[in-house]
Amino acid sequence: MTSTKLYTAIYVVLFVLATAQVAVERAGYLSEAYWAAFAVIMVLSAIKALFVVGYYQHLKYEPRSVSFVMLGGLLAVLALTFAAAYSIS
Amino acid sequence: MLSNATVWALVVLLQSSIVPRGSRSEVFNQILQVFLWLGTAVGVVVIAYMCWKAYKYRASGGHVDESAVDRPDLGELPQGSGGGRKLFVSFSMSAIIVVSLIAWTYGTLLFVEESPSVEETGGDELVIEVVGSQFMWTFVYPNGHESRTLRAPVDREVKLRVTSADVFHNFGVPGLRVKTDAIPGQQTDTWFRAEETGTHTAHCYELCGSGHSYMDAEVRIMEQQAYEEWYSNTTPSNATATPSGDGASDHGRLRLPTGVNA
Amino acid sequence: MSDDEATRPDGGASDGHAQADGGSAEAAGNPVTPEVPAVDHDTGGFFETDGLPDSASIKRWLVTTNHKDVGILYLATSLFFLVFGGVLALLMRIQLWVPRAAGEGILGPVAYNQAVSAHGLLMVFWFLSPFAFGFANYIVPLQIGAKDLAFPRLNALSYWLYLFSGLLYGVSFFQGSAFSGGWTMYAPLSVPSFLPSIGATTSVLALVLFVASVTIGSVNFLTTMHRMRAKGLSIRDLPLFTWTILLTVWMMLFAFAALLAALMILSSDRLLGTTYFAQTNDAGSMLWTHLFWFFGHPEVYIVFFPALGVMAETFQTFTGRRIVGRKWFIGAMILVALQSFGVWMHHMFLTSINLQAKTLFMATTIGISLPFDLMVFALIYTLVKGDIRFKTPFLFSFGALVLFIVGGITGVFLGAVVLDYEFRGTYWVVAHFHYVMVGGVTALVGGLYYWFPKITGRMYDEFLGKVHFAMYFVGFNLLYFPMFVVWETPRRVFAYQSSFAPWHQIATIGGFLLGSSFLVMFYNLYRSVWDGEIASDNPWEYASTAEWTIPSPPPLENFPGIPDYTDGHLSFRDDSADAAADGGVVDTASGGGELAHETGHEDHHVSHASIWPFVVGVGSFLTLLGASGFRNGSLVDGGMGGVYLGLLLTGAVVTLGSLVAMTVEPFHGPDVTHSEKWPFDGVENTKLGMWIFLASDVVLFGAFIGSYAFVRVAYGWQDWHHLIPAAHVPLPGLINTYLLLTSSFSVVVAMVAAQKEKKGWLLGSLVTTFVLGVAFLVNKALEWQHLFHVHSEAFPQGWDLSTNIASSTFYLTTGLHGAHVAVGLLITLYMIVRAARGAYLGNDEPIEYFGLYWHFVDIVWLFLFPLFYIL
Repeated sequence: MTSTKLYTAIYVVLFVLATAQVAVERAGYLSEAYWAAFAVIMVLSAIKALFVVGYYQHLKYEPRSVSFVMLGGLLAVLALTFAAAYSIS
Repeated sequence: MLSNATVWALVVLLQSSIVPRGSRSEVFNQILQVFLWLGTAVGVVVIAYMCWKAYKYRASGGHVDESAVDRPDLGELPQGSGGGRKLFVSFSMSAIIVVSLIAWTYGTLLFVEESPSVEETGGDELVIEVVGSQFMWTFVYPNGHESRTLRAPVDREVKLRVTSADVFHNFGVPGLRVKTDAIPGQQTDTWFRAEETGTHTAHCYELCGSGHSYMDAEVRIMEQQAYEEWYSNTTPSNATATPSGDGASDHGRLRLPTGVNA
Repeated sequence: MSDDEATRPDGGASDGHAQADGGSAEAAGNPVTPEVPAVDHDTGGFFETDGLPDSASIKRWLVTTNHKDVGILYLATSLFFLVFGGVLALLMRIQLWVPRAAGEGILGPVAYNQAVSAHGLLMVFWFLSPFAFGFANYIVPLQIGAKDLAFPRLNALSYWLYLFSGLLYGVSFFQGSAFSGGWTMYAPLSVPSFLPSIGATTSVLALVLFVASVTIGSVNFLTTMHRMRAKGLSIRDLPLFTWTILLTVWMMLFAFAALLAALMILSSDRLLGTTYFAQTNDAGSMLWTHLFWFFGHPEVYIVFFPALGVMAETFQTFTGRRIVGRKWFIGAMILVALQSFGVWMHHMFLTSINLQAKTLFMATTIGISLPFDLMVFALIYTLVKGDIRFKTPFLFSFGALVLFIVGGITGVFLGAVVLDYEFRGTYWVVAHFHYVMVGGVTALVGGLYYWFPKITGRMYDEFLGKVHFAMYFVGFNLLYFPMFVVWETPRRVFAYQSSFAPWHQIATIGGFLLGSSFLVMFYNLYRSVWDGEIASDNPWEYASTAEWTIPSPPPLENFPGIPDYTDGHLSFRDDSADAAADGGVVDTASGGGELAHETGHEDHHVSHASIWPFVVGVGSFLTLLGASGFRNGSLVDGGMGGVYLGLLLTGAVVTLGSLVAMTVEPFHGPDVTHSEKWPFDGVENTKLGMWIFLASDVVLFGAFIGSYAFVRVAYGWQDWHHLIPAAHVPLPGLINTYLLLTSSFSVVVAMVAAQKEKKGWLLGSLVTTFVLGVAFLVNKALEWQHLFHVHSEAFPQGWDLSTNIASSTFYLTTGLHGAHVAVGLLITLYMIVRAARGAYLGNDEPIEYFGLYWHFVDIVWLFLFPLFYIL
């Protein structure tokens, strides 16, 4: 039953964080300090993603090598995105 | 700080001595010569060495004392032979050659990239806009005059500001060793300085459609005096004739790119 | 070792364990009588097993899922595309005989551009990689000691998608004109305003299908190579050919996902009318170059690595020397594979990228060239103290190394940016990459001769092989070397400086010599298949890898027992009992081994036949052919429009139906109980396959999001808001976030319910998931309807796919996500039906694996939501 409780707790957290992201926008922080608010919103997304990956997808309980595979894909596209955006700046 | 200063000193030193200078053709030719000689030498040595070894150790050659050599076994767990040291020495040598060659040319890259500044050109820099379109080149002069022929004065830095009105092209004049992409919505800068008067041909170097093979333009390098005379008689684009009668305006008005980031 | 080792390919009979130099204990085993009995016996078994029809019947080749059959199919098909691409090249060479005016010569301008483009695309995609993967399919499972790939039907599916994608490309020539914008497909030439023909769309869709095939293949090979190696065979100890394939497949997984993103965006621009690459998007051209070369540079190594593997294997075999510096060789390859994702901008030195980017990518480019020096030297030093036999495979490999050295040195020229500036778009580049890539082909041709006796059980004709090599090598250099001399010729033109003509004529002659050398090969191999000398298990002295320990051709399930390397040497254990029949390799072809084979066969029945992969291939072909009839969101005019729509619908039904049939069909993959599984112990095959697939999906979505970020940065990140109507508010996105999060939770509940065997909960939560998913799509549809028809001052015509770049990125990226949701819903529906019949209780894996996918789709949304709704 503990696992069900854990899953439920995570669900609640995800729900709250999603709401918080919109709240940041509603509160007008984006127009005041765009990049700070941007960072907050993206970090919230990243936290949510980590919860889903770690617990709903059980990555936390798999061998680390699986995480590295996913990390490899992620790093590849981050390299593409940032280098490409930087090249035209 | 220290390292910064060192690097700077090194750059200055390099720029003043070893790094090729001059027109783009000179620079290119010098570097190409060095690469061709070295490349050929390395290629010949390496290929000759491997052919010699392959011949020497041919099966019927009898150069190997078989009892002293451990041959692979069928079904063995894959493994390697020794010889790592020799491998490393050769590798390091090749690495040194390659890295120093490229580092050497990097100084030139900086030179080529830094198109001549206003001070160097005495404040009268000549900027000509180049617009590629299927399948022709249009040259726009500072006064707005448009032409299908690129005219430029000899012995003077000419800046080219290149873009495209439709698809991806590449503007290159092999005779002047100048080349850059012509990309819609983007602008690329390059420059040249012609040493002699005469004519060259510009080509398109990026597949751009059915007329790609013929997307050429004439480049006329003129005496400065002659160029000034010609230029002072030009008028902004929609004039129907140019004094020199190069036929540019026969093709009518051009469509210029709408979204050029100036 | 031993028995057949001493058999010279031309020597006829094996004289048994003549050379007991290997120091292996079992050398004194049964002196096996030469080849004939073994081959006879095993081919007998080969033909009768598992309801797989005889290899002489067509049906066999339609239903087979066996890796060796699929390997043969790949080889044959790729050679067909070699001829296809080669004929196009010869047409170009004829056109280039003298400089031509438009309309002169055998190819008109558009035909010439089609030939140029199709030659590049067919050779790189439909010939080179699949040719290498023919060998990979056949040899890798043998080298690692696996009975088959992890997912045999997916392997067959990869093949059929590959074949049909190639046929689709062929069809495109008959739809007006095939794609004619070059193999690099630079934007915006690639969009319908410049290349309006339907055929051009079909060519792009053919590539999409090809990438699908590659992705499925990558997942399959990675799972196999990581989890199905013989006991005692660690990754480090893999034979070098297998090593190169392993790295190739890893690169493929990520690189092709980026290409898939690029192609899907291009398809969307062509079919639906989005405006990513349209002339109106100022960053469109640059976006394409980034996406394409991010794929394109790893692709260079993807096609070259297998050739390197063949070179390493043949050098070792024909010199009788183990490779020098094996660890360094492998290390260098790993380094290259990693670095290959960090050099792409060196293809873009003359674009508008800044000096810092140029400098950085110049440095990484030099960095990636260095490991190759090491590999070349390792191969050269392997010759020393060799017992070198210049058989055809070695001649080709040796020649390949010479060509590669020339290609490598001329590549360093391109690394110097100042030289690159002038070489860009000229024949220097053409000559350089042909020396490298066709140099790779040279090695692969060597591989074809090397493994021909293993695959067919017959020896090729050595004399004709050498004739082939002589013609090939001379033809190659006559063809490509003059291109260095007249390097100033611009690429892809047929009007060039007339003083260059003699050199181009030499090249044309060389091209025909190179082409005709393949006629010798085809004749040689065709004759040899029927009346070549019978080949023994191991016709090559000093060959050491596992494929040479078993009969030629190998029996259906490959090994006479369970392959095992734990004592440092391959042996086959009796798989019915633990009593090790440790007779070593000697037992392979002898009676004992055969017995083990029979018993093993009963215990682990592996399926080898399914028609569904073929049918999925047909369905995909029809679907995409139908889709090609769309442009800017509507069907082409006239009667043909109806035909295309019919094809699309038929294809969709066939594809979907056959996928369901494939899922329902009972099929047993190979058993993995006795395998080495590092580093994925404890991650079951299907689960690992799913994770690896998701990793490629990360790159796919990442490239979509990256494209969005790129065009937005180019436009001005915050100015972007001007492109979006005020009606576009976060609320629908927030509702959808809630819906998806809840559906993720309900999938988790379903999994727990399956574990606890509570059928009601299981069904309930699956149904909930389905309903939530449908609600997500409905909400999205309503939102889109609203946005399509906004009527504001800034957007009087509404805000649809082609309004501006912001609308294009929004609809396409969230649309791709929506498509993922829709696919998930189909799977959910299938699972609801099965759960209602009592499936999954106490067997929650299918739900868990589906959950991996569903949660991934959820996670993607977690990023799309802020990026497209809030920021």
